[in-house]
Amino acid sequence: MRVGPVGFRIGSDWHAPIAALDALYRDYPRPEFADYSFRLEAVSPWRRRVRPSVRVAGDYWLPDASPLPLAQGLLAAEMGMNLQVALGHRRHLLLHAAVVARGDRAILMSGVSGAGKSTLALMLSHRGWRFLGDEFAMIDPDTGLAHPFPRPVSLKNESLSLIPEGCRTGPLLTGTPKGDVRHVAPPAAAIAAMDEPARPALVIFPRFGFPSALSGLAPTETFMRLTQASTNYVAMGEAGFQALTRLRAQVPAVALDYPDGEAGVAAVEALWEAL
Amino acid sequence: MAGPRYRAAAAALLIVEPLDMFTAVFHRPSGVTHLLNEPAPQILEALADEPLDRDALLARLAQNFDLGEADGTAVLQARLTELETAGLVDRV
Amino acid sequence: MDDTPSEPGPASGFAPEAQADAPASSVTSRRMLMLGAVGASTVIAVRPALAQTTASVLNCQIPVPGPGDAGKYIDRNGNVVNPGPLGPLGALFGGPYPPPSRPFTGEEVRNALYNGMSLPGTTYYSNDAYLKYIKKLSGGQSGYTCFLSIQNPRT
Repeated sequence: MRVGPVGFRIGSDWHAPIAALDALYRDYPRPEFADYSFRLEAVSPWRRRVRPSVRVAGDYWLPDASPLPLAQGLLAAEMGMNLQVALGHRRHLLLHAAVVARGDRAILMSGVSGAGKSTLALMLSHRGWRFLGDEFAMIDPDTGLAHPFPRPVSLKNESLSLIPEGCRTGPLLTGTPKGDVRHVAPPAAAIAAMDEPARPALVIFPRFGFPSALSGLAPTETFMRLTQASTNYVAMGEAGFQALTRLRAQVPAVALDYPDGEAGVAAVEALWEAL
Repeated sequence: MAGPRYRAAAAALLIVEPLDMFTAVFHRPSGVTHLLNEPAPQILEALADEPLDRDALLARLAQNFDLGEADGTAVLQARLTELETAGLVDRV
Repeated sequence: MDDTPSEPGPASGFAPEAQADAPASSVTSRRMLMLGAVGASTVIAVRPALAQTTASVLNCQIPVPGPGDAGKYIDRNGNVVNPGPLGPLGALFGGPYPPPSRPFTGEEVRNALYNGMSLPGTTYYSNDAYLKYIKKLSGGQSGYTCFLSIQNPRT
């Protein structure tokens, strides 16, 4: 399938994970060509049938990645896609961030996996914001624009109760390394608009589960946090430096603590109004 | 006994982005981004036009800034070594 | 980085006559510059957040040929072909060469391309054939992005 500027082709030793992917990605276009191909492989030939265990075999792999049981094949596929993009992508500067937009201006919410940015992005996407992605912000090094990469959002544990009605979802996966996980497809409108970039207007570093607090960030701290949020900053070389310093210089950045989803959403909208 | 003369890496090899107390410098040949705290950016600036040995550099900095009372020679040497290691300054 | 006075109060209170009487070297009120300490660092290299991102070449692999051509052979010019009539023995007679038993890692290919080492388990000729195959990789083929990252001297 194609997600934003990236095409994937996924093969598998079993039918079930592919069927799950087909269901979740039903509204996505097919790619013209695949930037990344990988297979969901059995760990060993006899493990295709007996306690089947999935490993991602693609251009990029991590030497200490543990295989997952077949029932979590969809999770393996999603992690595989994240990994190929995180390590291989060079056309954009990548930041671990969720991105939502109103009109042609975007908010980047930067944080580590599952830190709350995904839940905020999903909630905002059901309150009139366009969803551009919850895992990677893709910043064009020439224009500074954020390109949508709207993959399904993986919600975990407590956040599962926040899944809005009527969303296309994947199966509930229990007992994963991250606990209970369910994938939620973004709104159809977000997928339809996934070729329309937006200009970053605000960078937020959110922290879920803390008393409400807001602080501005000094330029150096913002710069350092952004370098640490990027999986390909070093590999991008000079283009990465220029893209990051431009983003830092042109876009205000704040640290936001919030106790729960609703408070977080309210704070983000208040910040937007104040811009 | 003037000691070696130092000069900043050619301007074309660096991209300098002042932030606040720190300055970010991208070193093109190595692809490494450095964060510089004072006095490193000021040293780079002082060494940008003509090579200076350590004592001349100290005098130049003292002209433009208040360096305090203590003798800055040893400390300045440490700064120069750091900058040289990063490839931001070299000897002529 | 410019010589602005650090305390606006007294400096701005200087009367022109007083300036003319004072020795030249103390007229300008210079701001303080800390030279730091011998043991302290003022130049810090920014390191990437994920160790994997600098080791991406070590972690990526290039299968020869790609999974869509599993079981096919590589001829002397790096093209994917069907096994020749001699099968694996074709390797002794100028090809086509059977595929290697496992994908090569990015590091192995980088060493073969730039550091004068052969790909593991190859002869002079099969090494040459596999490298020709790799150099022909284009977008969408398995191993292409790995090959690109090898060519970047910084990875």
